[in-house]
Amino acid sequence: MKFLLAIPLFFVPLAVHDNVVLTILIFTYLVGILAVSFNLIFGFTGQLSLFHAAAFGLSAYATYLSMVHLGVSFWVGALIGVLFVTLISIAIGAICFRFKLRELYFAIVTLAFSELIRLVILNWNSFTNGSLGINFTLTPTLWVPGRGVIPVAGTIMWYYLSLAAVVAAVFAYSRIVHSWMGRCFASIRLNDALADTLGINVFRYKLVSFVAGNIGAAVAGSLYSFYISYIDPNYFSLDQSLAIIAMALLGGREFVAAPIVGALVLTALPHVINVNAEARLLIYGLILILTILLMPRGIVGLLVRRRHAA
Amino acid sequence: MLLEVRHLTKRFGGLTAVSDLSFGLDAGEIIGVFGPNGSGKTTLLNLISGVYTPTAGELVWKDEALVGRKPHEIAAAGIVKTFQNPQLFGELSVFENVAIAGHLRLKRQAGWRRVATLFPVRANADDDLASRIDHVLRLCRLDAFRDVPAASLSYGGEKMLGVALALMCEPVLLLLDEPGSGLGHDELRNLDEVLRDLRAHGTTLCVIDHRVGFLGKLADRAIVIHHGAKIAEGRPDDVLRDRAVIEAYLGRGDA
Repeated sequence: MKFLLAIPLFFVPLAVHDNVVLTILIFTYLVGILAVSFNLIFGFTGQLSLFHAAAFGLSAYATYLSMVHLGVSFWVGALIGVLFVTLISIAIGAICFRFKLRELYFAIVTLAFSELIRLVILNWNSFTNGSLGINFTLTPTLWVPGRGVIPVAGTIMWYYLSLAAVVAAVFAYSRIVHSWMGRCFASIRLNDALADTLGINVFRYKLVSFVAGNIGAAVAGSLYSFYISYIDPNYFSLDQSLAIIAMALLGGREFVAAPIVGALVLTALPHVINVNAEARLLIYGLILILTILLMPRGIVGLLVRRRHAA
Repeated sequence: MLLEVRHLTKRFGGLTAVSDLSFGLDAGEIIGVFGPNGSGKTTLLNLISGVYTPTAGELVWKDEALVGRKPHEIAAAGIVKTFQNPQLFGELSVFENVAIAGHLRLKRQAGWRRVATLFPVRANADDDLASRIDHVLRLCRLDAFRDVPAASLSYGGEKMLGVALALMCEPVLLLLDEPGSGLGHDELRNLDEVLRDLRAHGTTLCVIDHRVGFLGKLADRAIVIHHGAKIAEGRPDDVLRDRAVIEAYLGRGDA
């Protein structure tokens, strides 16, 4: 059972008391959900979506704004965020896949939709506070055995919450990938014309993959924004989408959990080598190029023998 | 009548690839469609399987119109086509290729219940999938290549895998686009046996080939098309002696 590999992670806070290390791991898990869910669309179904950062940000905004305006709890707000992203993804996916947009055309159209949403959020000052972003005044609450309902605060609680979320995400996506549905995704990635003649509804399964991937991004967005207690329209930027692609490629796109390794490297890197934001982008780009040239199967691909993806 | 082709016409711009073609297919027979290169045979199969939409004419499958349905819907209805140039999922193993083709079978067996199998509480959807795949691989003489990547098969092996993919869909009507082209002598005999096996199990076959020898012996009935129009129909032996057919193949006056 590969899931046993996650068990030691639950004991990390007992052994490591350095807040920086735990914080890096929390970010790794939260961004890891984003990268793993992106890889369902990209690595397993072969569709290069640039909508992923938008699904992430959209859910963060939807969660917080529904808490403020509807007075619901974080968990209901997150559910609203996920449902909202699901509906938007169905609409955008249906448009892209109905017109059979391929490769770069799909990437560009999904990028255009992300930009559209970013501009709406940037300019709808009265509702979203525009470019200033929103500082959160609300926190999620959680029922903890023996302590009742308490606010999620502090590094330890966030550590366990984000670890539980990433384990759940990896579990859910591996169920999908290693099922008949994963075979449909693989057939679309490898030869969609053949898939069509074998009776596989290419439109339907592209859409299912796109929506299922974006739901992961939505969950990550709700948690991440509450962890840092802040959102602004930069969540939607192309930089974010490129960072997600870099994580998936660096970790290895053949494996469900591998993008988390990419997330760890790219999250820890700024702490290991201290550079400013512009230089960081340069380093991301360099890593991306070197990965594609030297290890196209990613870090996990270097360690694990090729296994077929269906 | 299983499938009726009525006045089928397909034009690509100024080129008429299939012209006012009509014929019928009965359940359980092997029909051979002959014609020289460029006579419209592949276009005909692409029209039946929904890859192309006809310019005019009708296709009636079990009393229902086929025109306008998408390829995957036509496959689900029981008409499956193989490709002249083998189409595969190259980086996957032979076994995994056939597993993907098991989608329609799963869909027929489980329907929407297949969605429930994604959740951990339910057992796997396809318990007998592996045995079914092995059966198809044995039938197509591919069992020795079960775990080999499909891309590393020989050309003949790739063509047989194409047939195996189609078989896994459990078709009522199997459309084969030049299954024998590029095959060696042994592979051809192999294919002949597989196709006869299929007919014995009740599958209707529509095979197109420009080579008369292989298909002439296999088919129950032959149709010859030339420039997209039918020029002869009947028992293969009679049809292939037909004067118009010989002219189409060899040119006027050579016969």
